[in-house]
Amino acid sequence: MKAVIALFKKDLLLEFRQQYTFYGIILYVASTIFVLYLAMGQPEDHVWNGLFWMIQLFVCVNAVAKSFLQESRGRLLYFYSIAGARDFILSKLLFNVLLMGLLSLVSWVLFGLLLGNPVQNGLRFMGVAVFGGLGLSLVFTFLSAIAARAQQGAALMAILGFPLIIPQILLMMKLANTAFSQVVQGGLIQICLLLAGLDLLVIALAIILFPFLWKD
Amino acid sequence: MRLSWWKIVCILQLLIIAVAGLIGDVPAKPILNETIRNYYFHVPMWFGMMIFFTVSVVYSVKYLRSGQLKHDTVAVEFANVGLVYCLMGLLTGMIWAKYTWGKPWSNDPKQIGAAIALLIYFAYLVLRNSMMDPDKRAKIGAVYNIFAFAMLFPTIWIIPRLLESLHPGGMGNPALNPGDVDSRMRILFYPVAFPGWTLLGVWIATLSIRLKKLEEKKLHHA
Amino acid sequence: MRNTLNTALVAFFLLIAAPLLAQTPMGADDAVQMADGLYANGKIYVVVAVILTIVAGLVLYMIRLDRKITRLEKEA
Repeated sequence: MKAVIALFKKDLLLEFRQQYTFYGIILYVASTIFVLYLAMGQPEDHVWNGLFWMIQLFVCVNAVAKSFLQESRGRLLYFYSIAGARDFILSKLLFNVLLMGLLSLVSWVLFGLLLGNPVQNGLRFMGVAVFGGLGLSLVFTFLSAIAARAQQGAALMAILGFPLIIPQILLMMKLANTAFSQVVQGGLIQICLLLAGLDLLVIALAIILFPFLWKD
Repeated sequence: MRLSWWKIVCILQLLIIAVAGLIGDVPAKPILNETIRNYYFHVPMWFGMMIFFTVSVVYSVKYLRSGQLKHDTVAVEFANVGLVYCLMGLLTGMIWAKYTWGKPWSNDPKQIGAAIALLIYFAYLVLRNSMMDPDKRAKIGAVYNIFAFAMLFPTIWIIPRLLESLHPGGMGNPALNPGDVDSRMRILFYPVAFPGWTLLGVWIATLSIRLKKLEEKKLHHA
Repeated sequence: MRNTLNTALVAFFLLIAAPLLAQTPMGADDAVQMADGLYANGKIYVVVAVILTIVAGLVLYMIRLDRKITRLEKEA
């Protein structure tokens, strides 16, 4: 656990020191949403929701991709020798979850500013956005580890990840849709539990499978 | 050369189902009409696909535990056959849907599930082909295979709960329910149609595995 | 050897299919339109023959492949 925290801190420090990656991804979010605004103006509720999750998906692929791709081979070997594979993947998951949570908030604010804000229940939507971003980042962190080991870029990550993420995206859209009206719908807790279960499944698989990716 | 007993069983089952599937007695149902006979040909594709993907993932786990490349070969060849069956199931389903639902693709949960499976296993092959080193390819391929398989099953379980289905056996259409298939059809499906098509896939997979082994042997000699 | 095997196979499936050939292919509720015409004028057997040919062709191809690979394995 100590190693996980130490590695997590190292990622955080690196991010603070070379801020260009973080600002880069913020700029990516902002420019994509700006282009969307120029193309669509202020769309209807369900289009808004669909666009929001698509943007989340692409932001996630780009933000998470570098978590493994940025590390050089020698440095990875060094981390492995001092920390072990499980700690390493856990720290990466933790870091990316945080990053994606932050980016979800940013993209929500920008969406509200540019594309209008049809959301009635802002707090709930925010919760769903962050929760959804969390799920996305977990899946794509593991896939970026696979893509990095295959010495491929973010494109392969998208190919590997999009089919896997479809059910989660559908669940999240359904969950987010409820925030567009004040009417309370049933089955929400069930969907939340389902998503949480999927997240746990991804974490468990990552912990079990990552050491195999590591050994060389 | 003598064929193994299971290959002969497979041939017999396929020949029987080609004849009896068309001229056997079937219940008359509205909308379905004669298309109910697709049950003998379309449904075994899915059953077979599930079995092949499961075998594939079992061998991926075996590979990770043992590190023997022959297990990886089995995994990839079964994934290949599963992919062919998935494609066949999807295509036959679309032909059928064109004449019963009116359009080949209607975002039915079963269609979406099948499409997702197709994309996942194509991605698996793309991932493998992006690497040259056989050990690395096998290892990373196995990891993705297991991860994808574990994610595919919740998908197949979740999606029907999000979207309504028209598919026979689903709840959407009262004219089409599991009761459509009566005992006359079941007696032809479980002992003949399903194992016949599955055995054919196993046969193809074993041939590909043997072929690959030969190729490797040749490489070693050269 | 191969021919005898094939003849045996054909004979066997004909034997099994014979009782099915004899059945009247009508459902319980006749209101639903089925391809009764096809059965009445025997045209369905054309379809059966076509599909049977395809299946038989595929099976023969599989057997050929199997033998080829077996031979290669013995040589190697």
